[in-house]
Amino acid sequence: MSIFGLTAYILVWPLISAAVLVVLLVALARDMWAAHKSGDEMF
Amino acid sequence: MQGTALFQLPTSTTLLLLIGFYVLTFLMSLLISRKNENVDGYMVSNSAVGFSLSAASMIATWIWAASFYASASAGYKFGISGPVHYGLWGALMILFIYPFGMRFRKLAPRAHTLAEIMHARHGKSSQMILAVSNIVGSCISLMVNFTAAGALVSVLSPLSFVQGVLIAGIGTLAYTIWSGFRASIMTDFAQLAAMIVAAVVIIPLIFFNLGGPAMLAANIDHLSLQQADFFSTKAFLEQGAPYLVAVLAYAVGNQTIAQRLFAVREDLIKPTFITATIGYGAIVIGLGMLGLLALFIGLEPMDGNLNNIIPQMASTYLPPFAIGLFFILVIGSLSSTADADLCALSSIIMTDIYGKNLARGKPDPRRMLWWGRFSMVVATMLGVVFASFKLDILMMLVFVGALWGAIVFPVIISFYWSRVTNKAFTSAVVCAVALFVVARFGLLPMTGAVAVFFEILAAVGVGVVAGLMAFGFFGKRVGLFLGILAVLAILPYSIGFLRDYAVLLSSLTAYGVSAIVCVAVTLCGREHFDFALLDERVVSFQAEHAAPLTGSPSGAVPAAARA
Repeated sequence: MSIFGLTAYILVWPLISAAVLVVLLVALARDMWAAHKSGDEMF
Repeated sequence: MQGTALFQLPTSTTLLLLIGFYVLTFLMSLLISRKNENVDGYMVSNSAVGFSLSAASMIATWIWAASFYASASAGYKFGISGPVHYGLWGALMILFIYPFGMRFRKLAPRAHTLAEIMHARHGKSSQMILAVSNIVGSCISLMVNFTAAGALVSVLSPLSFVQGVLIAGIGTLAYTIWSGFRASIMTDFAQLAAMIVAAVVIIPLIFFNLGGPAMLAANIDHLSLQQADFFSTKAFLEQGAPYLVAVLAYAVGNQTIAQRLFAVREDLIKPTFITATIGYGAIVIGLGMLGLLALFIGLEPMDGNLNNIIPQMASTYLPPFAIGLFFILVIGSLSSTADADLCALSSIIMTDIYGKNLARGKPDPRRMLWWGRFSMVVATMLGVVFASFKLDILMMLVFVGALWGAIVFPVIISFYWSRVTNKAFTSAVVCAVALFVVARFGLLPMTGAVAVFFEILAAVGVGVVAGLMAFGFFGKRVGLFLGILAVLAILPYSIGFLRDYAVLLSSLTAYGVSAIVCVAVTLCGREHFDFALLDERVVSFQAEHAAPLTGSPSGAVPAAARA
C-alpha cells in the first residue's frame, strides 16, 4: 500500500464516523419535530 | 521507542469529568422519568422507537471499552489488516442478524426477550438456557466494563482502581434504575455523540502529532511482511476467524441486541441495523488505527500489556484537553454497554424468571417492576465486587461463549422450521457444549482419529456459519447450497490443520454439532408447530394481561390437522 493510500486508510474512519453522527443528528431532529407535531412521545 | 511514565489528569479534573458525565446523564434520564412506569416501556420502550435513537443505541451498546483496546491490540499485532479483522466482523454481525430479527418481530411483535419467545416456541428448558446464559453473560459484561473503568482511572489519574470501579457502578445504576430501557436508549445517543466527537478529534490529532505521512514513510520497515499485507492470512486465522465465530454467537444469543430489536419500529429495523453496522465499524476500526500507529513508531506497551497501547498513545501524543476527551470516550463506551446489560438482565428477570415462572403467567406489573429494579441493584453490586477483587472469569466467559455458540443454529432454525422440537433444541445445545468442552480444554488428545473427527465437525460448523448468513439474506436454497459448498471446500484444508487452533476448532465444533444433532433429532419427530401461536402467547404485560397458555404445552398440532 502506498503512503498516500495508508494515510487515507488511517484517516477515512473518523470521516465515516463523523458522517454517521451527522446522519443520526439530522434523523433525531426530524424524529423530535415529528413527535412534537403529532403530540406523541418519542419512546 | 521505550515505554514512558503516563501523563495523569489531576484528581480534581478526573472527578469533574466523571461526576460531570454521570450527573449530566442522570439529569437526562430525569427528563423521561415517570411516576408510574409501565413495565413494557421499562423493558422495550413502546416498541416503536425511531431510527436515530435505535441506531445510536445499537452502536453504543455494541461498542464496549474492550472494543477499543482489542482493536488497537489487533492493529499492533497484525498490522494493517488487524483493526479490520476486529471491527469489520463485529460490524457485519449486526448486519447479519437483522433478517432474523425481522422474522422474530413478525412472529412475536410484543416480545420483550428472546428467551420469552423460546418459551412460547419450545417451553421452559429452552427458555432457561437462554435466560441463564444471559444473566451470567450480563454479570460478566458488567464486571469487565467496571474493570475497564477502574483501570482507566488508575492509569490516567491519581485515583485508585476501586474508586474508578465504584464511581462507574454507582453512576450507571443511578441513571438506569428508574426508567430502565428508555433511559438507556436516550443516554446512549448522547454517549455515542460524545464518543464519535472524541474519536474524530483524537485519531487525526495523534496521527499528525506523530509526524503524519512522513512518519509512515520513515517507519514502514518496522512492519513484517504479514503486518504490511492487507490480506494477511495470519491475521485472518488468528484474529478474524475466531472473532467472527465468537461474535456471531454473541449477536444471536445476547439480550442487549434482542432488546433493541424488539424496541425499534418494525419498518425501521433494516436502516437501523445498516447504520449501526457502518457506525460501529468506523469507530472501532478507526480507534484500532492507534495500535497500527503504535506499531509504526515502535512503541513498547507498558508492562508488556497490549491493553496499555491506547492509554499510552493518548497520554504521550495528545494535549491535556484531548486526554480529557479520550477519558470521556472510554467512560461513555463502557457506561452505554453497562446500562444495556443492566436493562437486559432486568428484562430477563422480569419476563423469564418472574413473569413466566414465579408469577406463572399472571404477573403483577408493580411487583414485576420491583423485580427489575432490584435485579439491577444486585447485578451492579456483583459487577463492582467481582471487578474490585479482579476475579478470573475466563472460565465463565468461555462457557457462556460456548453456550451462545451452541444455540445459534437451534434458535434461528426454530423460527423457520415447524418440525423443530424442544427435545431437538435442548439435546443439540447439550451435545454441542459437551463436545466444545472436550475440544477447548483438550480432554482428549487431539491426534489421529479423534482430531479428524473434531475437524470434520468443525468443517460442518463453517458450513453452518456460511449457510446461516446466506440463508438470512437469500433464503433456504441459497443458504443450503452455500453451506454445503463451504463444508466441501473447507474439509480438505481443515483435516490436519484445525487441531492446532483450539479456540477456533472448539467454537466451530459447537456450531457443527448443534446443527447436526438438532436436524437429526428433529427428523426423528413428527410434530409441527403452528407459528401463529407465538403471537398469541407472547403478549404485553401491562397494556393487556398475558393470556394463559392453552392446548398442547409444546404447541404442536397433529400433522393431520394442518392445512
